[in-house]
Amino acid sequence: MPELTADLVLKKIKIGEKVERADLRGLVLTRAVLDGASFRRCDLDGANLEGARLSKALFKNASLREAFLAGADLREANLESADLEGANLLGAKLTGANLNRANLEGANLQGAELSGARLTHAQLESATLGGARLIRAELAHADLSETDLSTAKLDEADLTSTDLSGANLEEASLVRAQLRDAMLRGATLLRADLSGADLRRANLSGARLEGALFTGARVRGLVGTGAPVVGIRGEWVDDSEEASRVVRVTGAQIAELLSGMTPSMPLHKRYFGRGDVLRNAHLEFDTGAAVEIESLFEHCTIALGEGTELVVGKGGTLSGCQIQGPGRITIHGKFVEREGPGIVGATQLIVSAEGSLVGAVEQATELTRFGFEPGCYLRVQILQAKKERSTKSGRQS
Amino acid sequence: MIPIQGTQGRKTLVEEGTSFKGSLSSTCPVEVKGRVEGDVTAPALSVSASGSVHGKVKVGEMQSHGELSGEFDADVVQLQGSVKDRTIIRAKSLEVKLSPAEGKMQVVFGECQLEVGSEAARDAAARSNEKVPKGPTVPPDGAKVSDVAKAASVRPPTDANGA
Repeated sequence: MPELTADLVLKKIKIGEKVERADLRGLVLTRAVLDGASFRRCDLDGANLEGARLSKALFKNASLREAFLAGADLREANLESADLEGANLLGAKLTGANLNRANLEGANLQGAELSGARLTHAQLESATLGGARLIRAELAHADLSETDLSTAKLDEADLTSTDLSGANLEEASLVRAQLRDAMLRGATLLRADLSGADLRRANLSGARLEGALFTGARVRGLVGTGAPVVGIRGEWVDDSEEASRVVRVTGAQIAELLSGMTPSMPLHKRYFGRGDVLRNAHLEFDTGAAVEIESLFEHCTIALGEGTELVVGKGGTLSGCQIQGPGRITIHGKFVEREGPGIVGATQLIVSAEGSLVGAVEQATELTRFGFEPGCYLRVQILQAKKERSTKSGRQS
Repeated sequence: MIPIQGTQGRKTLVEEGTSFKGSLSSTCPVEVKGRVEGDVTAPALSVSASGSVHGKVKVGEMQSHGELSGEFDADVVQLQGSVKDRTIIRAKSLEVKLSPAEGKMQVVFGECQLEVGSEAARDAAARSNEKVPKGPTVPPDGAKVSDVAKAASVRPPTDANGA
């Protein structure tokens, strides 16, 4: 039997009295209006607070084991160090709530709204968070091992040094999430969106990554899966330590990096270092090659095979040159054509913030995918593929 | 065309299904969900996926998810959607996000011209590059210069930037 009846609790709260350190086990307060109420150090194990209004309520150090809080409004509530083991918080509103060091082991938080909530050092082992919204939530050092976070929204969440071992993050959105030093051993990240996520020094050993998107993710120092990675998506990842000096890794190298395995075709990499000058040369790079140019190329013709990566580094200048073929080109340095079109048939063309491109670009037949970063310099004429152009002019005449 | 009062201030809206022909000059941002043919002058222009603008445009900021053709002068441009033939885009800053390899194109370019960034900014960037000290060629682990490249004309370091 609880120490206080529901009516007495409501009466006390109505007159502004605190209900602290009370034995309220099994109390039924469904849909009660308890905004701002103080239940500090109360024992509310097994209590029924379904749909109750508890915004800004104080539950610090309270025990709410197996409590029923489905649909409860706990926005900005203080649940610091509260014990919510096995509690049912299905669809609860916990926006901005303080759950630092709370125990949520095995709790049901499916569809809960936890955006902006603080959960640092919280215990969430085996909790169910499928479809929950945790945008910009603070989860650093939390234990999320074996949790179900499938389809959860964790964009820009701070997951630094969290334990996500064996967690299910299938189709979760982790855009720009902080996962530095996170433990993702054996985690499932199938079709998860990790665009721009910071995965530096994260441990992905044994993780499943098929269909996951990694564009712009920071991967320096991560521990790979230890097995070949297939079916991942992403244009590039950043292998730099500092965000101010992006080191782009593209193509097949992304999978190699995420797997942590030795590159299978190291001889396909070509590098032209700073200080070298190439004039009037004709260069051909086969399918699968990765070419980086930090040199000065003058009046050169470069032929790229299908999917060949060509990166003109910050120190690279291609003056009076022409690049042909279905490769993927990234320009951090300078490209100036001699006679148009300077670039023909590239499947992808990126000009980064430091890059400069002067010339005509004849698109690939299936159209070129362009990426221009703010700050780039362009004097570009974009043309259709020759075949397309002749069809068009034929139609016009 | 309705000047609307939003939470972030007034803006002129050309609603979906509306077609506007002529000159449009506004002191508040313009949002186009319908079709505009003619000249537009405004501090900002936003073209939604259903919108199209054909003509001469002079704005501070431009964000387009729709169809553009004509001449566009802006300080800052964010581009998605499509750019038709014979279009010129002049901007201090242009952003085109790269579309995923298997996904839909962010921007489909027709035969068009892009004039982005100021000469001054480019020259400043070039000067900062010149200050970088020259070093020897050090290929990263596993890298090697191709045989074809080796056969080409290679001379000792002189000027990395060709300035």
